[in-house]
Amino acid sequence: MKKLMIIFRRAPHGTPHGREALDLALLSASFEQEVSLIFVDEGVLHLLPEQQPEYAGAKDYIATFGALALYDIETVLACQSSLERFGLVNSELTISVEKVTSQNITAQLQVADEVLVF
Amino acid sequence: MSKFIIQVNGAAYSSSASYNAYQFSRAALESGHEIVRVFFYQDGVFNTSSLNSPASDEFDLTRAWIELSEKYRLELVNCVSAALRRGIISETEAKENQASHWNMHAPFTMGGLGELVTGLESADRLVSF
Repeated sequence: MKKLMIIFRRAPHGTPHGREALDLALLSASFEQEVSLIFVDEGVLHLLPEQQPEYAGAKDYIATFGALALYDIETVLACQSSLERFGLVNSELTISVEKVTSQNITAQLQVADEVLVF
Repeated sequence: MSKFIIQVNGAAYSSSASYNAYQFSRAALESGHEIVRVFFYQDGVFNTSSLNSPASDEFDLTRAWIELSEKYRLELVNCVSAALRRGIISETEAKENQASHWNMHAPFTMGGLGELVTGLESADRLVSF
C-alpha cells in the first residue's frame, strides 16, 4: 500500500484533468491504496455547487465526489488561499473539505509516497 | 538500482512531455534501472498510434518507443478508456465496435487504470511526464 496524494489543480470541464483525477482517486482507493485529495489553484472550482457541466458538453462527474467516503477517502483538503482568491471562503461547498494553509500542504506532500498532479 | 513506473500524459509532438519521458526511460534502462511499465494516459495515448507519420527528418517517437520496448522488453500500456475516447483503438476494439480500421498494435497493449496502480505499488517511484 502506498500513500497517494492527488492534486486537483485545474478548473473543471475545460480539460478532462479533473475527471481523470477523480477516476484515478476512486480506482486506486479500490486497489487499497491510501488516497488523499487536495484542491488548489483553479482546482477549488470543483467545489462549487450547482454546476451544470452538460452546457459545456462535459459529463457531470462532480456528483461522484459524493462517493469519496464509500471508497474510504477521508483526507480531502482545500487550499485556504485558493478558496479566498475565488471568493469561496464562506460559500457552501459540494463536499466537506478541510481548509489548509500552504504549510499544511507542504507537510502532506512530505508524507506522501507519490504525488499526482492533474 | 531503482524500479520506476513511467506515466506519459502529453501527446507526441504537441508538447515535449513524451519526448522527455522517452529520454528518461532510455537513460534509466541504459543505466541498469528497471521500468515496470510505461503507462500512456490522457493525451499520452497519442504516442501509440501507428499512423503517426512524422517527416523523415523528424524524430519518430512512436518508432522510438517500439525499439526501446524490443530492446529491453519494456511493457507499453495504453489506458484503454483514455485511448478509445481519443480515437486510438486496437484490432480487438475495432472488431467489438465494428470499426473497419485500427491504429494500435503490438508491442503496445491496452490496459486499465489498475495497471497503473498495481505498477505504482510495485515500483519505487512513479515519474509522470
